[in-house]
Amino acid sequence: MKKAFVAALLILTAMPLLIGVAALPPHGDPDTPVHTHISARYLEEGREEAGADNIVTGVLLNYRGLDTAGEVTVIFTALMAGLAVLISHKKQPEGDAAYDAAEAAAEDAPVRAPVSPVVSFVVRLLAPFIALFAVYVIVNGHVTPGGGFQGGAILGALFIALTIVLGRERTRTLMPRLAQPWMQGAALLTFVGVGIVGGALTGYFLGFPADASLHLARKLMMLVLEAGIGLGGAAVFATLFLQMEAE
Amino acid sequence: MAAWPHWLPLVVLAPLLGAVFTPVVSLRSRHVAPWWALAVMSATSVAALFLVLRVASEGPFSYLPGGWQPPYGIELRFDEFSAVISVICLIGWLAVLYSLRYTEWLREVPKQRIPYYYALLLLNLGGMIGFVVTGDLFNLFVFLEILSLSAYALVAFSGEHIAEMAAFKYLLMGAISSLLVLFSVGIIFGITGSLNMADVATRIGQLDSAAPAALALAMLAIGFMVKAAVFPVHIWLPDAHAIAPSPISAVLSGLVVKVGIIGLIRVYQIYYAAGVLDLHTLNQVLVWLGAISIVMGAFFAIFQDDIKLMLAYSTISNVGYIVMGLGLSTNFSVIGGSVHVFNHALIKATLFLAAGALIYRTGYRTLTDLRGIGRSMPLTCIAISIGAISIVGIPPTAGFLCKWYIALGAFEADQPFFGFALIFGALFIFIYYIRMVNAFYFQAPVHPEILEVAEAPLSMLAPTLLLASLCLIMGILGRIPLAFIEPAAARLLAPLGG
Amino acid sequence: MLEALWNNVDYVASVVLFCIGLYIIIAKNNLIKKFLGLNIMETAVFSFIIALGVIDGGDAPIMGAGAHAPFSSPVPQALVLTGIVVAVSTTALALSLIIRIYRQCGTIEADELREME
Repeated sequence: MKKAFVAALLILTAMPLLIGVAALPPHGDPDTPVHTHISARYLEEGREEAGADNIVTGVLLNYRGLDTAGEVTVIFTALMAGLAVLISHKKQPEGDAAYDAAEAAAEDAPVRAPVSPVVSFVVRLLAPFIALFAVYVIVNGHVTPGGGFQGGAILGALFIALTIVLGRERTRTLMPRLAQPWMQGAALLTFVGVGIVGGALTGYFLGFPADASLHLARKLMMLVLEAGIGLGGAAVFATLFLQMEAE
Repeated sequence: MAAWPHWLPLVVLAPLLGAVFTPVVSLRSRHVAPWWALAVMSATSVAALFLVLRVASEGPFSYLPGGWQPPYGIELRFDEFSAVISVICLIGWLAVLYSLRYTEWLREVPKQRIPYYYALLLLNLGGMIGFVVTGDLFNLFVFLEILSLSAYALVAFSGEHIAEMAAFKYLLMGAISSLLVLFSVGIIFGITGSLNMADVATRIGQLDSAAPAALALAMLAIGFMVKAAVFPVHIWLPDAHAIAPSPISAVLSGLVVKVGIIGLIRVYQIYYAAGVLDLHTLNQVLVWLGAISIVMGAFFAIFQDDIKLMLAYSTISNVGYIVMGLGLSTNFSVIGGSVHVFNHALIKATLFLAAGALIYRTGYRTLTDLRGIGRSMPLTCIAISIGAISIVGIPPTAGFLCKWYIALGAFEADQPFFGFALIFGALFIFIYYIRMVNAFYFQAPVHPEILEVAEAPLSMLAPTLLLASLCLIMGILGRIPLAFIEPAAARLLAPLGG
Repeated sequence: MLEALWNNVDYVASVVLFCIGLYIIIAKNNLIKKFLGLNIMETAVFSFIIALGVIDGGDAPIMGAGAHAPFSSPVPQALVLTGIVVAVSTTALALSLIIRIYRQCGTIEADELREME
């Protein structure tokens, strides 16, 4: 009975989808609306208008900046959601005044498997290079593939690897309690900050000055945005990991 | 002031930015968080007020972030339907005020979670405002995700395992529906090369093959119907709305399900203007599903003893009215349906906040346990009674005019059967609210101590009473929103007549 | 019809992936598996949108030395980047919920959880 129902539902889903996609404009054809309408202008003018060699970055930060602002808000939402769901009665949060370290250590009773010395050595050896690569991906996002999110994800992964090897006590010092909420919200904060600066320069919120004399300002604004997105993304991943691990 | 152009991005970003600052301001003390949220919502409400004034005087207007002309950049567009942000701000503000005492009272909830609750509430409200004012399909999806993610987490907030299960069920269904929306945005981009709603509407009409457009329409409709909890994709709603903390139930039932309705309206705006498809089939499906939702929601509500579960089923029933109004697609029914979006938000928020106050004071949540409460909490019970007669649609209250208009629409569309379904549903609703009022006022209490409890605290009573009085006022001034929405409905349906 | 399907085989692959994900969500009992099914559906939609932007013989939409026309459309890539971030966020929340459910009920099998309610 259930199997028949599942099969029927799948067929009911697949048939219209197949009929629909078969009638889409042919795949890879340069004369389809995808390539002739807005994309064409982005590709022709994007480099000068949006100020980035990487047109994808130009679309993300400049033409469709509000989408990206919404996107960093989604990550922030995930963080708030994760914290609201995960924080439990048993433990005080990090750095709370009433937090008794010894008690917490006893509660924390390591269920963790010991880390192999080889893994530990390799992670510590590679850490600076990974960090450097992350920074490269972030600051070079407007020229090569990459950008804030990608770099932020690398930074966050580095943080997670280090936490596994070194333990949470040592990596937690990377995110001091007072700076933590600022770092987590960094992405949207820089977006709004840059957006207001752009608004003052162009008259539109999230506008980037297209004027040649302000070329440098535009580069700088993009760089700040990418850095903010990277930092914010990394902080969100790191906090979520710490919180999930604490559970 | 109303002419200042930047209110539109401000009204979206203020709650989102406020949410980012919530953990910052609560570093020192978590008690700052609710006051901060209240301040943020006040600022947002001011911006919303100016926007509504502007749309009333000059009609729809746009804002172009980054200064890019519409098909190339994102367009924020404020039309008469977007005026629903006024009720989002109002209920959001009152829900924050109400949460002040309510969240502290939830024993299962660790106190450190509370600032995140306010952050999520602000994100949810900001996401809804963004969803309602955007004129870009992909941007719509992004805001949809902000509000959905925060809604899932808020349902789970109370921390009981049933709540987490309900949230997970909500998340699975909600995520699938979001994916359907994203898939159809992709298809629409594939056939038109554009993401701006107005531009899509003109370009979709010039296509050779209607199949992809029809597929996108179907997926958008299903996706938004899940969000709006129309039968048969309503199954996530009762648990989620009944288990969430009461102020969140008010926000979810009053506002978040309406997002699905606004989404449907946006879809109609695109496809009616495009004129590429005959929407008769979809309309007929919507009308039938609406009618089934009305009767089924009301029917299940009768058998619920849990007061919040009963209200949750009643939400399904009322969403049915709105969907039916849209599906009938006559002038009267669309006006009635869109105004019911406003009015039902007020009514359902009243009922959930009042029910929450009863639960807060007594700890009981079933009608049997709450018998006789009318004597010890008279004001809250008056609010419930006003909400009840409004939702049945008895004349001087907010529910009457919209339902009347939808029924008129059914007769105008020459489908009197649905007019009768509507009246039949109203009768069911009448039965279960009679049951509720009867339990509160006329039945002997099961628990004698219920006669001793005090009236709800001011921070909970004031929002409830304010909303209840608005239910009455909107009933008396009911013609104003009807007249306000009329040009938008006429514009929506204009391609049909011409 | 078949020829049209063959021309758009990239889209057909996405549809197949989409249905596999849907099947897993409906048929599997384990909450994590259900969620992985959702992730597969997400991947299907992303690959569909990416495939929309592909152009025959095209280059990545990055200007500068060595770049030659035609270029793939940059818009789908930007959309999918946003979409991936959204998917990651949903995953994070779902896993948090699953952790809590497991903590409280000791199981993440849907039928056992239903019995507990």
